[in-house]
Amino acid sequence: MFFHIVLERNMQLHPRHFGRNLRENLVSKLMKDVEGTCSGRHGFVVAITGIENVGKGLIRDGTGFVTFPVKYQCVVFRPFKGEVLEAVVTMVNKMGFFAEAGPVQIFVSNHLIPDDMEFQSGDMPNYTTSDGSVKIQKDSEVRLKIIGTRVDATEIV
Amino acid sequence: MSLVTDSPVHSSSSDDFAALLDAELEVGSSGSSPDEEDVEADGDNNNDNNDDDDDDDDDLDSQRNKRCKTEKLEDLEESQGSTSQGLIEDKIVIHAELSLKKDICTHPGSFGQMCILCGQRLDDESGVTFGYIHKGLRLGNDEIVRLRSTDMKNLLRHKKLYLVLDLDHTLLNSTQLMHLTPDEEYLKGQSDSLQDVSRGSLFMLDFMHMMTKLRPFVRTFLKEASEMFEMYIYTMGDRPYALEMAKLLDPRREYFSDRVISRDDGTQKHQKGLDVVLGQESAVVILDDTENAWMKHKDNLILMERYHYFASSCHQFGYKCKSLSQLKSDESEPDGALASVLKALRQIHHMFFDELDCNLASRDVRQVLKTVREEVLKGCKIVFSHVFPTNFPAESHPLWKMAEQLGATCSTETDLSVTHVVSTDAGTEKSRWAVKEKKFLVHPRWIEATNYLWQKQPEENFPVSQGKNQ
Repeated sequence: MFFHIVLERNMQLHPRHFGRNLRENLVSKLMKDVEGTCSGRHGFVVAITGIENVGKGLIRDGTGFVTFPVKYQCVVFRPFKGEVLEAVVTMVNKMGFFAEAGPVQIFVSNHLIPDDMEFQSGDMPNYTTSDGSVKIQKDSEVRLKIIGTRVDATEIV
Repeated sequence: MSLVTDSPVHSSSSDDFAALLDAELEVGSSGSSPDEEDVEADGDNNNDNNDDDDDDDDDLDSQRNKRCKTEKLEDLEESQGSTSQGLIEDKIVIHAELSLKKDICTHPGSFGQMCILCGQRLDDESGVTFGYIHKGLRLGNDEIVRLRSTDMKNLLRHKKLYLVLDLDHTLLNSTQLMHLTPDEEYLKGQSDSLQDVSRGSLFMLDFMHMMTKLRPFVRTFLKEASEMFEMYIYTMGDRPYALEMAKLLDPRREYFSDRVISRDDGTQKHQKGLDVVLGQESAVVILDDTENAWMKHKDNLILMERYHYFASSCHQFGYKCKSLSQLKSDESEPDGALASVLKALRQIHHMFFDELDCNLASRDVRQVLKTVREEVLKGCKIVFSHVFPTNFPAESHPLWKMAEQLGATCSTETDLSVTHVVSTDAGTEKSRWAVKEKKFLVHPRWIEATNYLWQKQPEENFPVSQGKNQ
């Protein structure tokens, strides 16, 4: 689920950005670098909400770059095992269905779909209950429980 | 009392009706009579849902699981306490034991290296990757077998078999833009719009530096075949190419949906296999122009005549003649290869579902294929002349085997029962004998054409010329 946490990052800035707009440049570079990325520990960074603190800049020897340690607040999204969340179905087939919850790709095997739901193939493959009251097909919303997650540097599964 | 003795439940207390009533009432008063039915049902549910129990870790917030577990405990107590409850009690105990045994997950498959059933991290590489369905999906062999048989039942109910289609030279012909010859340049102006793909047949794909021509009749073919078969694309091209071609052939994703297999999905290099196809081998028909790609599944294969539209394609296979695009012509739509194959497929489908006597699960489409093939040249007896190199074992020549597959009998010596002499030179002894005895004298291409078109070809179209070697 979502968390609002404080993270720290060392930002390197090229001297051309120095001057009156130094802080703004720093903040925009931070946003460009960090928003939309994924880390194993924190999950997916959705948005930066504010800058808490920008430390003193240190000039690197040999180049003109300056390193600023920046503490910033951001909203992160990390799914946990056992968590219940809602997702949108992207593909349905005989093995189960695939869904997405934002950046997270989810697979629900047909072993874990209630037994009274049967797979119907055809133009719009779907899982339907025997009385036809509930139908899971592409673009429908489902609520599901996570049984396992894996995060790597580029994606969450 | 026959009523009581017939009852399967009460064996010990069946003599006395009063005892029978007592037993029933005892069961009823302890509140487990309706529960017994429930528990039997839930016992079954337990077997199925036990994997869910594992998934929840220690989380018992699922209502169904809670109820099951408490009832299981109740019944275990009851079965120990009560006396003459007969077979029902035994059944409950057995069910409880069975469900306890199933705590271990069988890991039927993995998604992103996690088991799809219990979520555990799995690092082994057993089973087959199904990357064409979704990235990261991998299924174990048992699961594949299970899926194949359930899908089979489903398809047979809808009266459909599986059809695996090759792309290049079977359904279409592609060429790189840089390989276009000067007399093919006119095609660039004639290509169809990519906006409304369902009407066109010649497409220019600039972003892939390619031009593609769909084989005549292909759209009708796909439409009609989709009613009899669940279709797969299996190409030796890479995945982006395969997906682009699928978009051209099937813009509404109604024929193939996610069933597009490319060489990136195959398990063996340079070989195609049915292991990545989720269908029983006994119900798959393959349409491909290359026999060598299907070494293990030759019995399921229908060989297609190659479609050479572009000059580069003819060149690739070493043909010196002009290609269809250079001649500004095309394969005939109603009489072409796809139309004849469609007729053959219809025959196969009809024979499989309507004519075979044995039960559905044991029918084999390979048998049907063999039978239909053998009808084509039934009754013909063939002798070959000047076709095989000398000292070559005639029976192992591909033409001999092809003729036999088509139902003809082949022989090395002429006699009066021979109907056809196949020769490349009309001056040989056997050829002259054929003309004298009024037998058909045909070029070997007659056998090949018959093979591709699934129909005995008119012999007059394949004359043999005199003299020099062809």
